Amino acid sequence: MASFVPSSAETVEDQRLYTEERLVEVACLDCLASVRVKKNSEHQTSVQWSTEGRSHCQEFQRRGTGPGRRDLHKPCPRMMASIDDAVRAGDVPIGAYDGY
Amino acid sequence: MTDTRTLDQGNAPIRFARGWHCLGLAEDFRDGKPHPIEGFGTKLVVWADSQGELKVLDGFCRHMGGDLTQGEVKGDNIACPFHDWRWGGDGKCKEIPYARRVPLRARTQRYETAVRNGQLLIWNDPEGSAADHDLLPPELPDVMTDKYTPWSWHVKEINGSHCRELIDNVADMAHFYYVHFAFPTSFRNIFEGHTATQFMESKGRPDKGDGGYSGEDSMLRSEATYYGPSYMINWLEVDYKGFVTEVILINCHIPTGPESFRLQYGISVRKPEGLDEKSVDYIAEAYTKSFGDGFLQDVAIWENKVAVQNPLLCEEDGPVYQLRRWYEQFYTDVADIKPEMTDRFEFEVDTTKANEYWHAEVAENLARMAADGEHAHH
Ligand code: FES
Ligand SMILES: [Fe+2]
Repeated sequence: MASFVPSSAETVEDQRLYTEERLVEVACLDCLASVRVKKNSEHQTSVQWSTEGRSHCQEFQRRGTGPGRRDLHKPCPRMMASIDDAVRAGDVPIGAYDGY
Repeated sequence: MTDTRTLDQGNAPIRFARGWHCLGLAEDFRDGKPHPIEGFGTKLVVWADSQGELKVLDGFCRHMGGDLTQGEVKGDNIACPFHDWRWGGDGKCKEIPYARRVPLRARTQRYETAVRNGQLLIWNDPEGSAADHDLLPPELPDVMTDKYTPWSWHVKEINGSHCRELIDNVADMAHFYYVHFAFPTSFRNIFEGHTATQFMESKGRPDKGDGGYSGEDSMLRSEATYYGPSYMINWLEVDYKGFVTEVILINCHIPTGPESFRLQYGISVRKPEGLDEKSVDYIAEAYTKSFGDGFLQDVAIWENKVAVQNPLLCEEDGPVYQLRRWYEQFYTDVADIKPEMTDRFEFEVDTTKANEYWHAEVAENLARMAADGEHAHH
């Protein structure tokens, strides 16, 4: 059943623009996981995981998945370090096009 | 062709979210009476059976439509005021005192219940699945013991807005400055599975008086997670002039219609050690009032804004589109949930640029206030 139906095709295009555009693949330096990253500025980072990438992350595996675990929300420090490296290497362009 | 941007108001969903929804404090329903609760486009009836277990049914009797909320609890069942049909918490009619047999088809809509942290939750699913207890919010250690103040519980009816407006707040960094009068100094989001989390550190604006999140002397560390579509636990550390208090804020709602919902919030404060009862109550009351005011600041916006399917974002904005993509899973048949709705997404907002601007604006406001003050004196 449909919900929150956009009434124009441009809205569907906006949804794609903001969620999918400009994502750059970054691989973890320590494990097989990879993510897609976007940086609108020096200090702003979006990290899109996939089900597969998530299943490869050693850090997340180690934490387990018990319900109510508050540390599940913490990012993986190895992946964060890998992203920082990729940014320093110039692999992740910094800056937005018109807000996205 | 014009390059004017149009607002796509879209169409609100005709279904209500799948998941656990909180109806209020469990104790309030245990007085032996039936209780009416508006929800999911109808009226529900809530009562406690002889064991004190809470039961929830659609409020309208399947016989001739009598209002069960005006009936009576008889034994374990709710009895209709019209012809005394007795309905059990499992949704089946158990007895019709004037008839030899109960029709086999005498089954009504029931909602499975669970009690968490002293609150009654019910499972809603338009597809009619069995309740998923793994998706319940976690138990809060020590809450409901004498280490915390009892829940201070409040209810506010919101008309003319879909409850997604409330959810949007999770990703909305800038509104904390404009609506809640606080500088967000650090802001993160994580969406994954059925949870959506916001981490925020903020400092109150000195140009706005106390109340809500404002006031120069207040600093806040906030970690807030939605467990499913409607129930958020917000762990707060409030630092007021160096005095740190731990506050737990529950922010939950039930949709009442396609464009209305009932907002509920509950506050429990960790009792600071070495403080007498009276001071503890005073602190709890003060935080209840200030977070209550915070909600009212949002309500004023919602009551006047329009729905927007195509928000136009700037680069400092939070991930509203990703948040809504996450929220969509609760309005989709389970078989149609797309991986990207539940895949982990992490976001960190750069608050440096925004804060440079905001600090300059506040300094200007303070200077103007000082000048006005001088005028008033001369
Ligand atoms: S309508 Fe309820 S018993 Fe007849
Ligand atoms: Fe808000």
